Amino acid sequence: MNVLKYIEALKNNLNTLKKVLIVYLIILVIYDILIHIGAHGHFFVDNIPGFWTIFGGIGCFILIKVAKGIAHAFLSKDEDFYG
Amino acid sequence: MDRWLHPSVFYFIGSLLLPFIKSEKAKKFLLLLIPSLSIIDVALMQEGVYGAFNFLNINLIFGRVDKLSLVFAWVFVIMAFLGALYALHVKEDGHHIAANFYIGSSLGAIFGGDYLTVFIFWEIMAFSSVFLVWYRKEQKSIDAGYRYLLVHVFGGLLFLAGMMLYYYKTGNLAFERILPTNAGVAEYLILAGFSLNAAVIPLHAWLPDAYPEATVEGAVFMCAFTTKTAVYVLARGFPGFEVLAILGTAMTVYGVFYAVIENDMRRVLAYHIISQVGYMVAGVGIGTELSVNGACAHAFAHILYKALLFMGAGAVLYMTGTAKLTKLGGLYKYMPLTMIFYIVGAISISGFPLFSGFVSKSMIVAAAHEEGRLILMLLMNLAGIGTFLSVGLKVTYFAFFSKDKAPIKASEPPKNMLWSMGLTSALCFIIGIYPDSLYVLLPYNVEYHPYTLSHLSEMLQILSFTGLIFFLLVKKLAPEEKINLDMDYVYRKGGRAFMFVDDMVISPIDTWWGNLYNTVGLKLLFLKARFASLFDRVVIDGIVDGTAFSVRMVGFLVRKLQTGRVQAYIGLAVFILVIVIWIALRMG
Repeated sequence: MNVLKYIEALKNNLNTLKKVLIVYLIILVIYDILIHIGAHGHFFVDNIPGFWTIFGGIGCFILIKVAKGIAHAFLSKDEDFYG
Repeated sequence: MDRWLHPSVFYFIGSLLLPFIKSEKAKKFLLLLIPSLSIIDVALMQEGVYGAFNFLNINLIFGRVDKLSLVFAWVFVIMAFLGALYALHVKEDGHHIAANFYIGSSLGAIFGGDYLTVFIFWEIMAFSSVFLVWYRKEQKSIDAGYRYLLVHVFGGLLFLAGMMLYYYKTGNLAFERILPTNAGVAEYLILAGFSLNAAVIPLHAWLPDAYPEATVEGAVFMCAFTTKTAVYVLARGFPGFEVLAILGTAMTVYGVFYAVIENDMRRVLAYHIISQVGYMVAGVGIGTELSVNGACAHAFAHILYKALLFMGAGAVLYMTGTAKLTKLGGLYKYMPLTMIFYIVGAISISGFPLFSGFVSKSMIVAAAHEEGRLILMLLMNLAGIGTFLSVGLKVTYFAFFSKDKAPIKASEPPKNMLWSMGLTSALCFIIGIYPDSLYVLLPYNVEYHPYTLSHLSEMLQILSFTGLIFFLLVKKLAPEEKINLDMDYVYRKGGRAFMFVDDMVISPIDTWWGNLYNTVGLKLLFLKARFASLFDRVVIDGIVDGTAFSVRMVGFLVRKLQTGRVQAYIGLAVFILVIVIWIALRMG
C-alpha cells in the first residue's frame, strides 16, 4: 500500500519534517503581517498582526490545562462509577 | 410538478416490506432504493404548501416546502442513502426498520407546517431511534436506551405543554416564526422542548450518554437526524432569541472541553455534536440572514462530516471490538483507508481550507463578527481550537498512530462501509472546494465568500499553532481509562437517591403501616364488613344490582392492560396521549 510507505517515510524523517513545519509556521506569521499592512478591521483584534497565532497557541494551552485539571480534580471517575 | 409526494412514505412503506423479502440481494437493493427514490422526490419538489387537512378545526399541514425545509430535506435524504450503504451488512430487519422510521419521521417533522404534525413525527423519531441503541444488545446499551427514551419523553412533554398553551393563547397551531418580544410561557416551553433535542446545555446529557452505546451503524444515523431536526425547528420558529446565541456559544466550548478529556472515541465525537450544534444554535440566536444561512449551511456540512467521523470510529469499533483510545494505537498499519477517511472528516470538522467545515462554520463566526459580538466570536474560535485538538489531533494520534496496541490484527472494514466513507469524504471535499454548491440551497440570498486572504490566514494560524502546542504537550493529553461526570449524574444518581429514600424511609413506613393495618385495621375491617355485608345483602343489592358486575368488568380490563410488557405500556401511553390531545383540542 502506497499510503503506508509514505507514512513510514515520514516517520523515518521526523527531524526533517519538524524543520519543514517550523518554517511553515514562520511563513504563516509573516504572511499575516503582510496582509495587515493598510488593512483596517472591525474589532481591535483584527488590527493586531499575528493575533490568531497567539490566540491559537495560548487557547490550546489553556484548554488542555484547564480541561485536564478539572478532570483530575473531580470530573473523572472509574468506569464502573454508575455500577 | 404540482402534485406532491411526501418523502417519508418511501421510508415507512419501504421498510415494512423488508421482512417479506427472503433474498439477501433483494433486501439490499430495497434498502438502497428507498433513499434513492426519496432523493429523486426531493429533487422534483416545487416550493409550496401541500397535504393540508382540516382535523377537528385544526389545519394540519404535512408539506410545507420552502427553501428552509428543502435544504434540510436535501441533506437528510443524502445522508439516508450514505447511512443505508454503511449499514448494508446488518442482518436484523428490525434495525433497518427502526432506522428507516427514524429518517422518515425526521423528514415528516421537517415538512410539518403546524405544531401537531411536528409533534407526532417528533415522538416517532424518539421511539424509533431508541431501537438503534437497544440493538447493540448489551446491558449498558439497554440502560442507556431507557434513559434516552425517558429524557426524550420529558422533552416531548415540554413541547406538548407549550403547544397546548400556545393553542389556548392564539387559537391555532400554525408553526411560524415567533418574535422574541411576543414570547411567553407557551413559546418558551416549546423552545425548551426543541432545545432538549438540540442538546442545548443543560439539557444535553442524553446525547453523550446514548450515542456511544448505540450500534456501530445506528450511531451514524443518530448523529445526523435528531439534533439537526431540532436545529431546523429552532431556525424556523426562534431566530433572534438572545438566549440561543449565548447558550449556543456556551455549547461550542462545553462540548470541546469534555472531548479533550474523554477516552471513548465515539463519546469524543458525541461531545463534538454538542459543540458543533452549538454553532448552529448560536447562528439561529444571532438571527441575521447571514447567521441563519450559516446555521443551515453548517447543519448540512456537519451531517456529512460527523457521519463520516462516526463511520470511521464505528469501523474501528467493528473491527477491533473497542473504541477506547487507551486500548487502541498503531491502526494506520491495518486500516489505512479508514484512517484517511477519518482524517478527511476530522479536518472538515476542524475547518481546514478546502474542506466543508471551512465554508460553513465561518459563516456563523463572520455573522457574529458583523454584529459586533466580539466575545461570541472569540469563544467560537476557542471551540475551533478544541475541535482540531480533540477530534483532529488527539483521536487521530492515539487511535491510528501512537504505540501499536491493536488488540487483534485489525483489518479494513467491509466494502460497503468503505464505499460509504469514500462517498461521504468526496462530498466533504466537493463542498469545500465548490461552496456555491451548498450556498445555492440556503434560505436567504446573502453574498458570502469564505476564501478571503484574511480568513485563510486566521484559520491557518489557529489550526497550525494548535497543532504546535499539541505536539509539545502530547504526553499531557494521554487518554485515561475513566469516565467523566456530566449532567446525566443528576438523573442517574438522582434516580438512585430516590431509590435510597424509598428503601430507607418510604419502605419501612410502608411495612410498618402494613403491619399496623394487618393487626388493627383488618380486625376493624372484618367487623365493619360483617355489618356492611348484612346491609349490602339486604338493602343495596336490591337497588343497584348491576354495579358489582360493572366494577368486576373494569377490574378485568385493567388487569388485561397490566401485562407488564414495555411495548404494551408504550403503545398504551401513545394511545392515551392521542386521546388526551384529541380531548384537549375538542375543548379548546
